[in-house]
Amino acid sequence: MSDRTENLLLAAPGLFLLALAFFLPIGQMLALSVEGPEGPTLAHFSRFLGDGFYLGVLWRTVRLSLIITVICALIGFPLAYIMARVGPRARLWLIILVILPLMTSVVVRTFGWVVLLSRNGLIPELLRDMGLAGRTFALMQTETAIVIGMVHVLLPFMALSILGVISRIDTRLEEAGRTMGCSFLQTIRTIVLPLSLPGVVAGSLLVFTLSASSFVTPNLLGGPRLQVLAASIYKSVTQTLDWPFAAAQAVILFAGILLVLIPYVRLTARDNG
Amino acid sequence: MKYRIASAAVAVSAVLSGTAFAQDKTLTINSFGGAYEQAHRTCVIDPFEKETGAKVQIVTAYSADAFAQLRAQKDAPQFDIINFSGGQEIVGAAEGLLSPIDASKLSNAGDLYDFAKANLAKGEGPAYSIAAIGLVYDSVKSPKAPTGWKDLLDPALSEHLVLTDISNGYGMLGFLMLNQSEGGTLDNIQPGLDAVSKLLEAGAIVVSTSPEIQQEFAQNDAWIAPYASDYAYTLRKAGLTAKFVQGSEGTPASFITSNLVANRPNQELALKFIDISISKAAQECFAEALRYSPTNSKAELSGEVAADVAYGEEGVKGLIRFDPAKIEANRKAWVEAWNKTIAQ
Amino acid sequence: MASFLVPSWVRLAARIFIVVTVIFLLAPLVVVVGVSFSESQFIAFPPDGLSLRWYQTVLSDTVYTSAFWTSIRIALLVTVSATLLGGAAAIALHRRMLPGSAFLATFFLSPLVLPTIIYAIGMLMFWSAVFGPVSFVTLWIGHTVIAIPYVVRTTLAVLSESDPFLEEAARTMGAGRIQRLLYVVIPQGLPGLGAGAFFAFNISFDEAVLSLFLRKPGLTTLPVQIYGQLEFSPDPSVAAVSTIMIALTVVLILVIDRMLGLQRFAST
Repeated sequence: MSDRTENLLLAAPGLFLLALAFFLPIGQMLALSVEGPEGPTLAHFSRFLGDGFYLGVLWRTVRLSLIITVICALIGFPLAYIMARVGPRARLWLIILVILPLMTSVVVRTFGWVVLLSRNGLIPELLRDMGLAGRTFALMQTETAIVIGMVHVLLPFMALSILGVISRIDTRLEEAGRTMGCSFLQTIRTIVLPLSLPGVVAGSLLVFTLSASSFVTPNLLGGPRLQVLAASIYKSVTQTLDWPFAAAQAVILFAGILLVLIPYVRLTARDNG
Repeated sequence: MKYRIASAAVAVSAVLSGTAFAQDKTLTINSFGGAYEQAHRTCVIDPFEKETGAKVQIVTAYSADAFAQLRAQKDAPQFDIINFSGGQEIVGAAEGLLSPIDASKLSNAGDLYDFAKANLAKGEGPAYSIAAIGLVYDSVKSPKAPTGWKDLLDPALSEHLVLTDISNGYGMLGFLMLNQSEGGTLDNIQPGLDAVSKLLEAGAIVVSTSPEIQQEFAQNDAWIAPYASDYAYTLRKAGLTAKFVQGSEGTPASFITSNLVANRPNQELALKFIDISISKAAQECFAEALRYSPTNSKAELSGEVAADVAYGEEGVKGLIRFDPAKIEANRKAWVEAWNKTIAQ
Repeated sequence: MASFLVPSWVRLAARIFIVVTVIFLLAPLVVVVGVSFSESQFIAFPPDGLSLRWYQTVLSDTVYTSAFWTSIRIALLVTVSATLLGGAAAIALHRRMLPGSAFLATFFLSPLVLPTIIYAIGMLMFWSAVFGPVSFVTLWIGHTVIAIPYVVRTTLAVLSESDPFLEEAARTMGAGRIQRLLYVVIPQGLPGLGAGAFFAFNISFDEAVLSLFLRKPGLTTLPVQIYGQLEFSPDPSVAAVSTIMIALTVVLILVIDRMLGLQRFAST
């Protein structure tokens, strides 16, 4: 058996499953996007791309996903680093704390945020008492609410992705850096950060794609006045029953995500051989 | 050996398709969960099971989700009966997903008001409940009791007004009624859209699901929302001081229909189920439990229940039914126009 | 790392950072736990009154317990299938010996990119046309498909950090393919496989959209049950279910730790 055969055998079951149970059904669904009453058409695409409203929805989706990814990385990296370097007992508790939100249904967690962020919720009340906000101030149905909720949902994915990689870094490298006169921050920048980059990349890929394609949290926290693309797709499928348009929106979302991801993967792949 | 392969194949296909062998006496229906499903069980399912000896399996699915499932499964439908509250039966019938119903096979069809059985032959099932859309308001906190749809535009209420997105069936009807009271028609929804943007500027909020409405009333100082009578009752049962009033300009009606799914083996049994849904007893039971208005003209309600619903020949006459075919034809365009109007 | 190498201001900053992050992570959960003990029907925080009535409701109602077991069954099966398929694929991809490895890596990521609703409808149409009515198996396959990308991603990330010469060394020293896989590559990728398996379990356990559309009578998962309850009659019972889940998770992790020494595992 050659190496290539061995690898092919390893990858085959997964490839086979995805091809049959993902690409076939999804292809059938996405084919609807060019289906019109009189044969193939691009009308669904031009309807989307020629309308400022839908372009705005697309732009909001991409923009918020980028913001969410950056915030998750900014919090996730130090969190993972601390988790990797504290004692075993503390690490266990930190892992529990990071995992706990994941074990609660997203719908329920988001409802928790709804309660906290709405007009008479704890957080706006607090801001009002401090004189920072007006009488009807609410965080609900704002982009801030979407970002807060999504970072909460996705932070564990980022932190755990990075943790997996950081925990493999030999701590002697850091010690060497320190004894050779690097400051703490220099060690982080020149040793830990570059070595943990694959984790940051993996986490960012997950977080970006997940936030661009998720529906429950943005819909509940942003409300109908701040639509994101996934919510718009959901509505086209279940409410206006316009499946061809839903499919066209999905293709556009797919293309949009790839446009952002491919350069990113290229760039980071070069750095990491 | 051959036999063994064959039986293995049968076993595999049984596992894959999940078909039970004793399927002939089982019906699969959708219901709407929570208190609705409990009432459904008491009012329709239990009597049906007792009478026929058959078994009913429920899938909890709202109209929109259930319809998407029905359409995607058209090659192998799993529902025998599908209940809709948002007018989906019109699309379903037009796409051939639903079976036409012969009214003579429903013993209770004669007792239904005419509007409830208008398109049986086309495949649109009979309406077995009506949700009346009017004004739900907090009778304690609201400075005044609203009387008509015009009151929604009262600036004193705007900051405490909750509108429902028109992707929601009740939201759609409430919006069309607001549009009408502003001088619009089904051919021109601009007056309604203008009113909505004015309200939003004045501080009203838009939500898209029922629990958010409850949340707004319970926690966030909402005073008034155009919504369904049964929901006012739900809020009241939950301990809120919510009241329901029919707007003086008219009360749009949302029909809950029970539809016969095409290409299913047990249509006789399913028809029996529909027949029980539209019976006098079942409808009285629904009105009692959830405050839905009956469509059976023989239904008798106590004074307390009757006050909460559209009851009797007269009460039902006051209901407005916006042409559902027209709503379906325009839904896409309206939702798009609405989305653009409310977009921040 | 030797503690004398970490300046004290870093320790202080780390403490503050952890406290703030933990508050953020726990805030909505505190609301959920608080609401579950509420006396009133509403989801309001701080809760009105104190009672256990919602726990009584939940525990006496078989719909929640049966939905829970359905979810657990599917999630465990998905964990096994997704970790095996995704882990194997990640190892193959990592070795970069397949033609178009980069393309294949994107291929394995693609189920993440589309909103699940599109996949759910597509899968339902496809399955109905080819196999007929949906079943437990349909949902298992569907969840496996959306869980595989997580396993592939996390495993690849960890493998890319491991010493590539180790496998070569094992080869020169005469280890066979299976031995190299079992004693070198898999241990190297273990943290990634572990994280991937955890994600797979979690994705399946919390997935609501596929479960909603690929449903049949008797096949209702916990998220679908919760979603339904919230949609039609929202009350603190959903908070009680979630609180029980939170408590179970903590207990489970602590028990596993006692038995297997999770600390050691987590630190490898």
